[in-house]
Amino acid sequence: MADLRPVRRWVSPGPGEGFADIARRALPDLPEAEAVGRLQSWNLHVFLRAPAPPGSPRAGNPVLPSDVIFVEPPLPA
Amino acid sequence: MTAPAHDLVVRGGLVVDGTGLPAFRADVAVDGGRIAAVGAVRGRGRTEIDATGQVVAPGFIDPHTHFDAQLVWDPWAKPAVEHGVTTVVPGNCSLSLAPLRAEHRAKLVGMFNQIEEMPLLAFERGIDWTWESFPDYLARLRRHLSINVAPLVGHSLLRLWVMGDAAMERTATPAEVAAMQALLRDCLAAGAVGLSTSYVDMDERLQPVPSRLADPAEVDALAAVLGEFGRMLQIVPEFYDADLMIARVDQLAELSLRHAIPTTFSPLFVAPDDRTGPERVMARVDEQFARGARVWPQVQTRPIDISFSFAVPSLLFFRMPSWYRLIRFGTPEDVKAAFTDPERRRALVAEAQILEPLWLKVVLRRALQPDNRPLVGLTLAQIAERRGTTPVEAMIDLSLEEDLDAHFLAADMGHNDDARVGALLAHPRVHVGASDGGAHILSFATYGDTGYLFSRFVRGTGALSLEGAVKKLTADTAAIWGLFDRGRIAPGLAADLVVFDPDRIDRGEEVYVHDVPGDGWRYVRGSRGVACTIVNGTVAWSAEGGYAEARGAILPGPQPGAATWALAAE
Repeated sequence: MADLRPVRRWVSPGPGEGFADIARRALPDLPEAEAVGRLQSWNLHVFLRAPAPPGSPRAGNPVLPSDVIFVEPPLPA
Repeated sequence: MTAPAHDLVVRGGLVVDGTGLPAFRADVAVDGGRIAAVGAVRGRGRTEIDATGQVVAPGFIDPHTHFDAQLVWDPWAKPAVEHGVTTVVPGNCSLSLAPLRAEHRAKLVGMFNQIEEMPLLAFERGIDWTWESFPDYLARLRRHLSINVAPLVGHSLLRLWVMGDAAMERTATPAEVAAMQALLRDCLAAGAVGLSTSYVDMDERLQPVPSRLADPAEVDALAAVLGEFGRMLQIVPEFYDADLMIARVDQLAELSLRHAIPTTFSPLFVAPDDRTGPERVMARVDEQFARGARVWPQVQTRPIDISFSFAVPSLLFFRMPSWYRLIRFGTPEDVKAAFTDPERRRALVAEAQILEPLWLKVVLRRALQPDNRPLVGLTLAQIAERRGTTPVEAMIDLSLEEDLDAHFLAADMGHNDDARVGALLAHPRVHVGASDGGAHILSFATYGDTGYLFSRFVRGTGALSLEGAVKKLTADTAAIWGLFDRGRIAPGLAADLVVFDPDRIDRGEEVYVHDVPGDGWRYVRGSRGVACTIVNGTVAWSAEGGYAEARGAILPGPQPGAATWALAAE
């Protein structure tokens, strides 16, 4: 089997996870607020998503179970 | 006079057999819907087609369409057959017309309207909804079908069937996943070619479609069922971002390896502001193929041209939220009121600056008022100069003057770098797809990509040979999708054929036609240089005679182990 070259690292969200949950497990060495901020900036496709409708169980958490969440900035070209 | 020896003989053509090997001169005889002989055919055919000076190729296969609804009222999927297409794959992007309970029909139609820009009235007037189950849907199609259909099952439909409205809000329980597996198994046994899912699409409320609420474990469980049948998984990835695309390629590769299934993603575009994205994605695809995975990108041939008016929503305005919400959720009277009110108009004009300098080159393509008709064909920049205003103001004024029925064209929005697109199309792991046939009917004509491949990338840039282009549209696509008796010209295979002039084949001009149920319009393109299209041994369209009844098939059709009710529907 051929080896794969490194690509930008990402994770899948766990059940019900939001940015703070992912930050705690993916960036454990950073203060949580800073880690969340970094995750949000690396994942604008999620952070800028339209909010769920009022009353939805998804309200307040833009992360979807199918999302790809990057845990590092884009790699240098 | 002796009785004809064959049902049909295509005589004296240059056979491009789909394998990619050099063309050769031969006759093709057809009996019982199958190719009987390729060579010097002595016996006469009940139907004789003189192909002297023309190419005889396998019928083209279009793997990314949304003809689901149209096939219910139009058995040819017009004008696909006219372009040499003999097999279409509907049900892409997580959306199909079955399995679907009656209570979710309005939801599905809303999603088709939002995502694929298909008119609500067409569904209301054109569809009889005689089915809920997938086998019943296939039975409805089989009643009158003149093109082959290889239908995908939409993941969002599986979720709605099993989970009801919760499909739009949460992940599935293990029991629900098991129910979806059983449902998918039934669909595949009845004849579905695979499963489609989406990671980008939004429903009529601008909320994620149900498939996006699935976690990776659910997709893995469904892929396991695909593995039982060796069937395709199609996804729509986040095509606007190469890193996200690469992540999806890796996900697909793992599913492909774990379950021994083919996978495909569409679209893969060449965007003008991304100099390396598609190439980086293809490098990852190559790496994954080297591991033994099958992750087939689909690339469309045509550049992105978008037509629009302010009578219907257009994805062109998605980056302008005030415009998009006004057109998507407002009535025509709301739109006219906003265009007329000075304050709201000023705000809209200001927001439109985000797409500058697009407006300068937007062309007025349709206007009916006598004073405006001479302006058709001019850019908004030219019209604005004549009127002493700005392009956006001119666009608004024209729309008001035409009661919102002014049509504009934003041409060459992307995927128009011939060198890069040609290199992608020629890549051995790319197949030609993403036509979106049957969708976006008021934004652009999703037909004629096949002819454009020959005119632009065979005769024009030379990115592909004639044989290579035919192989892409036929044998490659058939093999990738597991349609093993299609896509080549050889004795015993299905007689799906197209006869065309290799020096002329092309897409025609985009025209606005009134042929959609519910008094609807759409943009289409006819073909150029195609002489005739043969579906399962019967001429389905010819340049001389137009459309004719043929007998289309559901592909791959019922599978071994199919439930008896599925076979009974055959």
